Order: sequence, then C-alpha cells, then structure tokens
Amino acid sequence: MAVRAARWRWSRVAWQRLILTLLWLGHGVWVFLGPAPGRHWARVADTLSRPSQSLASRWDAWRTSRRESRRSLAETRAENARLTAELDRVKTQAAQEAPRLEEADVAVRLLGLKKQIPLSLTAARVIFSTRPATFGGLILDRGADLALVPDQGVIVPEGIVGRLWSVGPSQAKVLPADAPNASVAVMLMRSRATGVLQGLGSGRALIRYLSNQEVVQVGEAVLTSGLDRVFPRGLLVGYVAEVAQGDLELHVIVHLSAPLDRVSAVLLLPFQPPLEAQVPFVAPEQKPQRKRGAP
Amino acid sequence: MRNQELSPIRQNLYCATGLGLIFLAAPFPQVQLVLHAILVLALAPRPGSPLSGALWGLAAGWSLEGSLRVYPHLGGTPWADLTLVLFAGWLASRWPLEGLKGWMARLAALIVLQVLLVHGAVSLAAGPHPWGWGGLWVLLSLPLWAWPTWRLLHVHPGSGRR
Repeated sequence: MAVRAARWRWSRVAWQRLILTLLWLGHGVWVFLGPAPGRHWARVADTLSRPSQSLASRWDAWRTSRRESRRSLAETRAENARLTAELDRVKTQAAQEAPRLEEADVAVRLLGLKKQIPLSLTAARVIFSTRPATFGGLILDRGADLALVPDQGVIVPEGIVGRLWSVGPSQAKVLPADAPNASVAVMLMRSRATGVLQGLGSGRALIRYLSNQEVVQVGEAVLTSGLDRVFPRGLLVGYVAEVAQGDLELHVIVHLSAPLDRVSAVLLLPFQPPLEAQVPFVAPEQKPQRKRGAP
Repeated sequence: MRNQELSPIRQNLYCATGLGLIFLAAPFPQVQLVLHAILVLALAPRPGSPLSGALWGLAAGWSLEGSLRVYPHLGGTPWADLTLVLFAGWLASRWPLEGLKGWMARLAALIVLQVLLVHGAVSLAAGPHPWGWGGLWVLLSLPLWAWPTWRLLHVHPGSGRR
C-alpha cells in the first residue's frame, strides 16, 4: 500500500485562534509597556542591581575613607617631623642662649645693685672656683690692672661674698666669708648686737662674741656692722639658723645668703669704704622663731 | 432543547449599532460607559466564533478610550474588553443560558469583572488614576438593559422562547 504524504494546512479555527492570540498578546504587551516602555526594565534592573550598587557604594566609601586616613596620617607624620625639627632647633637655640641669658641676668642685677649703692663699685667675673679645696676661694678675672688691692669687699645682690685675699697682675683671689680663716664684722638686725662672723664652710658661719644676755631669734637677718672697714654697715650677710647658749657667749650659726658655689659675677667695694653707706637692700625679715629670752 | 443560534449578520448589526451609539454618546461619559458594557458583555460575545466578537470588543474599547481622551497611553480598555469578550464567549459556549435570571446574574458578574479588569489594565498602561462611579452606574442600569438585550439576542423567531 502506497503511503502518500498529506499536505499540512491550518484549519480556519486555528487561524482564528492564532489571530486572537496575537491580538491578545499584542494588546497585552502594548498595555504592559505603557507610556514609558523602558521604565519596567529600568525598575527590574534597578532592583537586581541594588545589592551590587550598595556593595559598590560601600566599597567606594571605604576606599575614600582609607585614602583620607592615609593622607591625614601622612600629613600628621610630616607635621610631627616638622615640629620635632622645630623643637630641636628651639632647644638648641635655647641651650646656646642660656649662658648668655644667665650672664645678662646677672649683669642686670649687678647693674641695679651698683646703681643703688652710692659707692664706686667695680665689676668682675669669676673665672674659677677653688672652694671645694681646703682654704679654697674664687678667682676673679681682674687684678692689679684694675687697681685692686687686698681686703676689698666682694658682694653680690644676694649678700656679701667675702674679701680679696690676694691680687695678681690680672687676677685676684677672693676669700669667701664661709672660709675658716675668714672673719666679718656683723650685727644682728633686731638687737643690733655686734659680733664677728667666722666661717665654718659649706655656706655656714659662726657669730662669735655675742653675750648670753642677747636675744637672738632663728631666722633673724645678719648684717654687716662696718667695723672691719671692709664692708659698710647694713649689707646682708645671712640668716640665723641655730642658736645655742655657751658658757660665756651665744653660739649663733648663720646661713650665708650669697650662693657662693654659684657666683659668676661680683661687685668689688672700694678699699676701706665709709662706715655708713646708704645700703637700700635690706632683706625682708623672715618670721622669727622664738628660742630664748622672749617675753 | 438547545437554543437556536442568533445569525451572525444580525449580531454584527447589533454590534455596529452599539458602536455607533458609543460614538454618539461621547458627550455623556456615563451613558457611554453603559453602552460600552452592553456592547462588550452582551452583544459581542458569541459562542463558537470568537474572532468577530473580539474585534467588536476591541473596537468598543478603542472607541471609548479614543473619545475620552483622558489617558496618556491608550490600550488598557481594549485589552480588557478583548479578554472579557473571549471569556464571555467561552462562558456562553461552556454553560448555555436557560433564562433571564441567569442572564442577569452572568452580566452582573461580568460587569464586576470588567470594572476590575479595565481599571487594572488602565493602571498598568497609563499609570495611577482615580476610580470613577462608572462601574456602579453600569451595575445599577443592568435591569434596564438586561431584558431588552435578552430579547434581542436570545428571543427571536425559531428560538422557542417568548
């Protein structure tokens, strides 16, 4: 039996269904697209890309923050280095200027003292100190070239230093007031009782020849009496540190007010100055501590 | 006894008349909505011959939207009408009508479905828009035009109905 292939054709109903399907789908697509056909795809794409956009935004923010942090760190380091260099420079400059400032300060104070004392004072610089040695003293940079002679009084703004012990051609040696072989005529500020100050070393001295009947208070100022013709009356020597009653006299220990170990410049009084010199710098009286003989 | 089918010529004449009335009622949108519903839900559906009904439904939808000139993008109402005509034709072929009450109930259900579908399609095509009272007027006017359309479409010589 011969088999003949039948010709394939669409029926009328199939054509109607196809047309209806196309009409329905065409209108549906037309309706779905709406006035802005791309808005649906844009919405879908926006929804799908939202996680990646958020991630990218965070990644960009993190990179920006990291870049800013690195820049800030670099700037801070540069600023730190610059400030460190500036600080080192200022420190070096201050260290270089310190001796000059100290010297200038001392000079100013000596100048002020020189203006206040109505005597012909001579300034000199301490170039060496032999105080740690036995019977040591201070070496000045002036000597006979400035017509200095032994037994001239040496003072600083804080008080007396001592007297010239020996004078060389261009140098002079100062015997400090706390040397064991040094003596200064002194008087107590309140009682005006006089005595002789003898050195004990280390900035301390002992007042001799004070009667047991005298009333001495710890902290009382001790002034020069002028009787030794080395210092005029009224220069500050120190303050009473201890008072002890002896058999015949009081033992009064005095702390010298002048910093003998740190003196760098001094003023030299004229040889045998007048007894009375209007010395203005009487040290402020400290609060006395009653020891004995007080009412 | 199965009802005798209405002749296609007569049905097409009815649909053409309805379409003309839609154009003529353009100054009265509420009346136009009622005529549109009559054409789409009652006159156009035809069991066994969906293509002509679909074309009449599309014509009714395009006519209505074209005369309203309200939406920025047309096409929502014709698509909804096409869908409803096909659905109503399938209903008519699947469950043939036996009386006026069933006809009215089916029309009421189709009206509700038409309101929802038209508004959804228009929203999809033209964007958000306010829901008017047109669906309600169509539903309220159903007793007025259900009986005439029943008489026109299903009671004719040879149909066995009175």
